[in-house]
This record gives sequence, structure tokens and C-alpha cells, in this order.
Amino acid sequence: MLGSIYAMVAVALTLSIGVLRFLNFSIPGLFMIGGMTAWASLRGGLPWWLAIGAALLAGAFASLVVERFTWRWMRGAQEFVPLVSSMAFLLLFEHLAVICWGSELRTLPPLFANADWRIAGLVISVPQLVGLVASIALIWALTLGLARTRLGRGLRTIAEDSDTALLLGVEINHIVPVVFLISGLFAALAGVIFALNYRQVQPFMGEMVGLKGISAMIVGGMGSVWGSIAGGLIIGVVEVMSIGYFGADFVDIAVYGLLLLILCVRPTGLFAAAFAGQRA
Amino acid sequence: MLAVHELEVRYGRVHAVRGVSLTLAEGEVVAVLGANGAGKSSLLRALLGLTRPCGGAVLFGGRDITRWPTSARVRDGLILVPEGRRIVMTLTIQENLLMGAFHRRDHRAVAAEIADIYDRFPHLAARRHHPASVLSGGEQQMLAIGRGLLARPRLMMLDEPSLGLSPKLSNEVFALIRRLNRENGQSILLVEQNTQRALELAGRAYVLELGRVVMEGAPERIVADHALQAAYLGRGTAERRGGGQHATSAS
Ligand SMILES: Nc1ncnc2c1ncn2[C@@H]1O[C@H](COP(=O)(O)OP(=O)(O)OP(=O)(O)O)[C@@H](O)[C@H]1O
Ligand SMILES: [Mg+2]
Repeated sequence: MLGSIYAMVAVALTLSIGVLRFLNFSIPGLFMIGGMTAWASLRGGLPWWLAIGAALLAGAFASLVVERFTWRWMRGAQEFVPLVSSMAFLLLFEHLAVICWGSELRTLPPLFANADWRIAGLVISVPQLVGLVASIALIWALTLGLARTRLGRGLRTIAEDSDTALLLGVEINHIVPVVFLISGLFAALAGVIFALNYRQVQPFMGEMVGLKGISAMIVGGMGSVWGSIAGGLIIGVVEVMSIGYFGADFVDIAVYGLLLLILCVRPTGLFAAAFAGQRA
Repeated sequence: MLAVHELEVRYGRVHAVRGVSLTLAEGEVVAVLGANGAGKSSLLRALLGLTRPCGGAVLFGGRDITRWPTSARVRDGLILVPEGRRIVMTLTIQENLLMGAFHRRDHRAVAAEIADIYDRFPHLAARRHHPASVLSGGEQQMLAIGRGLLARPRLMMLDEPSLGLSPKLSNEVFALIRRLNRENGQSILLVEQNTQRALELAGRAYVLELGRVVMEGAPERIVADHALQAAYLGRGTAERRGGGQHATSAS
């Protein structure tokens, strides 16, 4: 479950790296915006589907603001400039959330009165199941879209060589906001799924997940969509297993120890295929 | 159909194109010749809007397109087959052809034209679903031209299409360009260092040197001027690359 959340954040990061060569540090912030907007809307009395809609809308909008101010204005500047300003956006979002909602941990009410299914002795949490299915479906739709559609071909061409894309008539200025929109939606939805499952949100919730998302992306092989999915799932599984075997204190040691090990053996990540090479 | 007026391109302190004017009428093949660094590619890139000119004007089909974005020029039928082919290696051959038609919505016609291209180039057809990286240089050039054709060019600009190809493959490329012009009436702006072959094809030619047009006119005139220059000034303007692979036009 956690794995699929990491995977979604990693996919959001990968899209930005793969197409734009831009490590977008605001994505953990968008994750938080998704989670906290969902919480705030629910507290405000909105029905759950409106709360989710509001959270996605907020994430998408925030992502377009980031595009406007990190990417569009600073293109042509040194490579690290958008990176630094996206980091500034992460802090900005976090502190705006603190101002709006305070910095304490907030809890969400359980959405459904009896959210567990019991089948043959197994307890299955419905929100977890829904979250898992939704994230798999979305990632699947994204890879299919990248592989089969005109927009997907355009994105893969930009990823390989934006100058070539330009001379073929691809309107990069129109496509870049789409990339930000999709990655914003992925991050925000991951935040919503996190909020609904763990029923806890706070303004800095994005940082831990963001770090794991970045790690998932790197372990999977920078720029490979499938790689970041695999990376996210691996981190999630290791985390859950190490809680089971060693206890909560050892989780991060186990996770990052394994990451270091993988990177020592395969410095390019598990699936070093170029983003543009992805095909369903 | 194309009129370029006093075009200027600078990269910082490098003045790559210095007041170049040229014209091209519908159905014409016009060659632009010049040595390495003469500014040929810079000229074509400026015509397509990939590099912003810092002076001058470009008229295409009677309209001033100097400030248009590249995508609008492509939609208007100004197409570049770029230097070094610039095939997208991680896309399949089929997808590369589709990228040529990126701005088109008439999917049926696109599919039919892709089928035509496969008829013409069986090498491409056989591997249409392989990544383009499996192709040889010559096949890549054919793919680049095919991709250009799928954009429905009113004017096709080719930047050194014979670059790096064996004489035999170069011949095939030039034969294809000739056919496109003779059979389809395709207007072509051809940049080449292979002076002789380009002049065989072209109705008119311009010679660039250090960003300036130093000669223009009918091929015979260029050849004659060129021979004169080579004889009296002891220098060849147009061919310094290729280690003898490109024959000299002065004959
Ligand atoms: N992006 C760039 N930045 C700086 N200078 C450049 C750039 N592109 C080209 N130049 C310079 O501009 C001049 C003209 O280059 P250009 O590529 O247009 O020549 P060319 O005639 O196409 O040469 P070639 O036959 O080698 O392709 C050269 O001096 C080159 O070094
Ligand atoms: Mg050139």
C-alpha cells in the first residue's frame, strides 16, 4: 500500500525528470496539498467525493503555479535554478499550510463506518484496496498514454531531444504545463490516498514520502517509469517487512541500507532504460 | 514563395549570418553552398525559427513569418530535414514517421502516406516497429526525409542530406531529392557541401562564406566563378570536408 503511494510520487518525479530534465522538489509539497486539502474539505463538511475533487484541483493548480514560476520564467537560466526555486516552493507550500491550518498532526474521521472486509479470515481494508487499485490503474493509464498516443510520442520526443521536438512542430510551451498537470495530479492523489488510509495529515507530511519517492525513482533507474514503480513497491514492501521483523525503529535503516546496497551493485538503478524508451 | 531579406544571426559574439538575402520560387530547387562554419545551418535554423534572427525578415507564401513560433511555420508547410538527421532513436520507425505528421489531424491520409513511404523504402517497412536506432546512416536519412514528407511540406529544407554517407548512398539520396522535385513539384532548399551533386540538381545556387552571400546565380555561373577563384586566388570556397569523398566542382 505504502509502496503504491511511493510509486505514484516517484512517477510524478520521473515524468518531470524524464521529459523536462527537471528534479521538481515541489512534488512532496503537492502531495501534502492533496492530503491536507482532503482533510480540510472533509472537516468543512464536504462529501468525500467532493473532498477528493477539491484536493486534486488544489494539487493541479499549485503545480501549474510552480510551472509558471520555476519553469517558464527561468528557462535558459542555469540548470539548477529551477531546482532551487522548486525547493523554495516546497517550503512555501509547507509554511502556507502551517499558517492556514497550524502545524499539528490532524486526524481524519474514518470515511466508511465499517471499512473492513473479512474474507476467509483475511482482513482487507477497503480504502487501502481502493487506493491500491486507483494508483495501479492511473499508472497503467499513464504508461499506455505515453506508449500509444500522439501526446505520448511528443513527450518521448521532448525527453530524448527537445530541439528535435521543436523542429518537428511540437509546441513545447503547450506540452510542458501538461507534464506539470499530470505530475501534480499524481502527487496530490497520492496525498489523498495517504490521508484517507492513514487518517493523519500535517504540513510536513510530504518530506518523508518525497524522500522515499526520490529514492524509489533513483533505485528504479532515473527517468524510467516502470523503474520508479518497481522502486516504490520495493521500498514499500521492505518497509512493511522490516517493521514486522525488526520493529519500527529499524525501518529507515533497513530501507536506506538496501537502497545503498542496490546502488553499489547497480549504480544506474534497476531499470536503467531511458524514459523515452518506455513502451507498454 | 520564400523571400529572405537581410537576415542576421548572432550567437553572442559570433556573427554567423550577415545580411543574407535569398529567394525561392514555387517548384524550384535552390542550393546553398559553403564551407564548414559558413553559416548554412544557422540560416536554415533561423528560417524555421529555431534560432531567433537579430535582424532582417523572412517571407513565406507572401506572409511575414519572421516572428512566428516554429510550430506555426511547420503547420504552414515550412519543413526542415535537419543536419545529422535527428532521428528520435528511442521511438520506433513508425513513430518517427508519425512525429513528422505531429500537427496533422487527417489520420487516414497520414496512414496512406506512411504506406507510400514504406513502399518506397522496403528497408524501413520491414522494421517499422523496431526502435530507429537499428537503422544505418543511409536508412536514417531516408527516414528523416520520409518524416519530412509526412509534414506535407510546401517547402522542404534539407541540411546536408549526404553528410557521412557513402558515395553510393549519397547518390540514392540525391536521386530521391530529384524525383521529389520532378515528380511531385516539391520546392526544395538544399544545403550541401557536395557542391557538384548539389549544382546538378539545383536551378539556382547561393554560395555563403563567413555568413555572407559571395556568389549567386545559375549553376553554370557558380561553377565558372568557382573555377576562376580556385585558379587565381588559390582557394576553394565550398569544399573542405570529406577527405576527397566529395568531388570538387571546379572542372
Ligand atoms: N549554437 C551556437 N552557439 C554559438 N556559435 C554557434 C552556434 N551554432 C553555430 N555557431 C557558429 O556559427 C557559425 C556558423 O555555423 P553553422 O553551423 O551555421 O555553419 P554551417 O555552414 O552549417 O557549417 P557546417 O558545414 O559545419 O554544418 C560557426 O562559426 C559556428 O561555430
Ligand atoms: Mg551545418
